[in-house]
Amino acid sequence: MPKEHPIFVRVTTLLLLLLAIGFAAEPRRVTVYAPQTNYQVDILVRDGVDYVGLTDLLEPLGRLESRIDGKKLILVFNGGAAEFQDGKRQYRTRSNNKLELGSNFLLVDGRGFIPAASLTQLLSSIAGQNSEFHAAARRLFVGSTQFHYSAELRHAPSRLVLSFPNPVNPSTLIERSRVRLFFHREPVVSNGDDNVSYGDPFLASTNFTEIPSGAEFIANILQPATVSVSDGGHTVTIAAVPPPAVATAAPVATAAATAQVANQARPTALAPRLRPFVILDAAHGGYETGAVLSPTLLEKNVNLALARRLQKELEARGIPVVLTRIADNLLTWDQRAVSANTSHASLYVALHSSGSGHGVRVYTSMVGTPQAGQSKRSFLPWEQAQAPYLEQSSMAAAALAAECTFSGLPVRSSAAPLRPLNSVTLAAIAVEIAPLGNSPDELGSAEYQQKIAAAVASGIATLRGKLEATQ
Amino acid sequence: MISRKLQYVVAALVLAILAMGFYLVHLKRKAESISAGPLTQALTAPVNGPAEQMTLYLANDEDNSLRPDTISSALPSDPGERGRLALHTLVTRYLQAGSPHPLGTGADVHDVYLLDPASAVVNLNAAFANTHRSGIEVEQLTVFSMVLTLKAQLPQLTRVRFLVDGKTRDTLAGHIDLTGWLDVPMVAEASKSLK
Repeated sequence: MPKEHPIFVRVTTLLLLLLAIGFAAEPRRVTVYAPQTNYQVDILVRDGVDYVGLTDLLEPLGRLESRIDGKKLILVFNGGAAEFQDGKRQYRTRSNNKLELGSNFLLVDGRGFIPAASLTQLLSSIAGQNSEFHAAARRLFVGSTQFHYSAELRHAPSRLVLSFPNPVNPSTLIERSRVRLFFHREPVVSNGDDNVSYGDPFLASTNFTEIPSGAEFIANILQPATVSVSDGGHTVTIAAVPPPAVATAAPVATAAATAQVANQARPTALAPRLRPFVILDAAHGGYETGAVLSPTLLEKNVNLALARRLQKELEARGIPVVLTRIADNLLTWDQRAVSANTSHASLYVALHSSGSGHGVRVYTSMVGTPQAGQSKRSFLPWEQAQAPYLEQSSMAAAALAAECTFSGLPVRSSAAPLRPLNSVTLAAIAVEIAPLGNSPDELGSAEYQQKIAAAVASGIATLRGKLEATQ
Repeated sequence: MISRKLQYVVAALVLAILAMGFYLVHLKRKAESISAGPLTQALTAPVNGPAEQMTLYLANDEDNSLRPDTISSALPSDPGERGRLALHTLVTRYLQAGSPHPLGTGADVHDVYLLDPASAVVNLNAAFANTHRSGIEVEQLTVFSMVLTLKAQLPQLTRVRFLVDGKTRDTLAGHIDLTGWLDVPMVAEASKSLK
């Protein structure tokens, strides 16, 4: 046999490796931190250049309208405007300034894409919005949202105190020789001193790096440590765990003294998180597009845009909100239900859109009413978990329908066999919007979405006291 | 150097793979043309016997309604066949030009099986689901109209399940859940808002 056989093994191994890398690679996204919201935008790679969809980028930041005219895309955003041409670097703003992107503008499937490296220039030239883009970590800070931290090593007991001007709630990973804090939602940036050596018996050094979709702070420790968040999220303390006390024949302590000692020994409890009242679920996503409303309008995109508008409307009313998805990614029904059930929210709202019919439809689950003795604490099959919450869901549906009627929107309420409503263990409804007229394009209209978002948000606002009282 | 014998073997394998690929595509196209070709409209099975009343619940997209429509037809005595005929007739109405609730070309009901007098399994063809318009309401109208039409023919019915080409399908067209049994009284109650 020829001795070159190993070449086949090498080629096969290489192919398998490439496949593995391809499957394991996470989707590349730009994380946008804006004063009103944080979100992620998928990156499209063309000819080695990272591109970002204009609609995905700008829609959450303000009023956006766009129109395609042949190979041109005309964009109106927050009072500014720009005209782009497919395959050209140059674009024109409302004041007739001719500017150049870092690479050619792209029109793909009716959507405009600009190079990620030109994001700050674009925001500045169209809307006069200052921003900062950290290319390596793919983080975009709009309107000076980024903030720095300060670190101070204190003694007796040894602890590193990190102070932040805005509240933070990092994910924490405590390993044998280091503590890692991940800032996924907070726009924390370097304080100019990323690598610090302390040479302390507790703390050797610290390191701060921006990573894709966040930032990471690492404390290299020499003793076991705990992490606590205090001061309403403004302070994170990494403290050395005190060595276990040596048992001695201590005098009998009073109950008060015992409690005091116990409190000192226990690490500071995590500050309570702001509990969301509503979890908004923009249905579909990724390759699962939902209804094709028109050649340029997909249900998944309308649902997400509506979710973002509704989020703004709710937050303007002081109602905390979380979204199950903030980008064009697919979640399974079970993932959506689990997100809802672990969110500690009071109301789950799935958002859909359809080109058929007119106005707004509000749906509750078609799960059976709870049987005698069945309560929220009962052990129920996953597909019937909604049953004890059906009364609250019906109340929510009625409130939303009433508010839509009040706003002059045609509305209808009904029960339907819909997933994941059956598996949600809180008040759960689905809202489907349809055009008022006969053109599905109306669903993409900012005015129409805004009108619906305002009506639904008002309906949810009326529910707040009622739903929280029943929990 | 790779031996000549090995090169021949690899080349033969590549050719075989390509040939099999082309043959697979050919078979797939042939199967599609057979299943989708002639069935542009559901056919009603011919039945002999005295005419009886048959109630169809017809959906209307314009006003989101479900309205009963009674027609006279010869009906088979077998409950499963009776249900199948009713659904065939319903689908035929939806496939007619100018239907207020159009279904896609080739939509049809393969069979209706009765597991017991209270439980029916409706087996739709693939075209029914694949060409159905996507949306909660439009899917709900289709499913509810079929369940109520079936119930009108089979009064003892309490639950219905839908299969597509004999298999469980997650949703009809992305929204209405087809993975479990539909409770007929619940459907009847929910459909009150559609009248």
